[in-house]
Amino acid sequence: MMNCLEFRRHVGAEPTASGAEIDAHRAQCPACARYQDELRAMDALIGRALAVDAARLHKPDTAVALTEITARRPRWLALAASIVIGISVGLALWISLPRPSLAREVFDHVAHEPDAMSGTALVAPAELAGVLDPYGTRLRPGFGDVTYARRCIFEWRVVPHLVVQTPQGPVTVLLLRHRNVSEPVRLAEQGYVGVVLPAPRGSIAIVGQQKDLDGIARQIFEAVDWGN
Amino acid sequence: MNGDERGTDRQQRFATLCETLRPDLLRFAFWLGRDRQLAEDVVQEALLRAWKSFDALAEEGKAKSWLLTIVRREFARSFERKRHELTDLDALVAAEADVLAAEDDAGLAEMREALFRLDDEYREPLMLQVMMGYSTQEIADQMGLQRGAVLTRLFRARAHLRQELGITSEPSS
Repeated sequence: MMNCLEFRRHVGAEPTASGAEIDAHRAQCPACARYQDELRAMDALIGRALAVDAARLHKPDTAVALTEITARRPRWLALAASIVIGISVGLALWISLPRPSLAREVFDHVAHEPDAMSGTALVAPAELAGVLDPYGTRLRPGFGDVTYARRCIFEWRVVPHLVVQTPQGPVTVLLLRHRNVSEPVRLAEQGYVGVVLPAPRGSIAIVGQQKDLDGIARQIFEAVDWGN
Repeated sequence: MNGDERGTDRQQRFATLCETLRPDLLRFAFWLGRDRQLAEDVVQEALLRAWKSFDALAEEGKAKSWLLTIVRREFARSFERKRHELTDLDALVAAEADVLAAEDDAGLAEMREALFRLDDEYREPLMLQVMMGYSTQEIADQMGLQRGAVLTRLFRARAHLRQELGITSEPSS
């Protein structure tokens, strides 16, 4: 039976890996399953990052002139083009498949990092800045004490994940610049409650175990400066 | 088919090849050398070499792999010729900032920069796997490595990226 270390070395090199051993380990180890899911999501981001606009790299030259010679595509290229189109259509269909709800994604993410809620040591300002600066985001004084700050993969994006201490206990905050919601989305599961609020840039998810989360959420929401 | 027709057909096939694969070759060369001008030069030279030895391409279905190999070799030649100085990564990033930019997606731009800063030995197999869809064995063949070495490099590439991007290194349990 594959152990966690073997599993992670395997999927770390090939995130799309599957097979009996991989599947068996995934089934018995949610943390490793999540790890592989994160790597797959990161690979999607890597793929998008590598696919820079060729027009920005390209300039007219003799090779382009060569293309003007052609009037008709060879059959093998037409076949190759069909395969590429087929793959693209398949990928598009896969991407458009119903995804877990936003609430499910948020809860899964919070549940995936339970230790994040238990810390009490303040995150150093430089560390916090390292998490927020790439997005031009700032926290105003009313935000509260941050005891956890990481950048996580969420819905194929890198997002800031914070835990802030409030008088009523810790709450998790995810800054989802990529995710627009038209109105507040309420979440409730396994003793946790949460809300995803529309924000000047995307949305903000706030999750905790407090009864009156709305007041806390409003305070946190107003203390985020989303930058430009 | 007479000689002229064969020549025209050969030109047409090659031109179609260029048209179809050149964007991928340019991207590959760009990420290989992290320099737009170098990528242009390398691909141009590679295509000229490919044109000269086009008849050696036995199976046109393998054209992409064949051309990538030529681009890699040409890049190595170019690297030897120009004796590139050890690169200042910050300067490289600044020089190619407009290519790396991703409007309204800071995470994407940041991933591009992280890839730019990744060591060559890690970036290349990752490119071949993620961008070109190569299997680890194909990458090993392309790079002249053992498959085990490729697996190690791919694992480390992702670990470096996660570290560079500050992504939680391991699940908590």
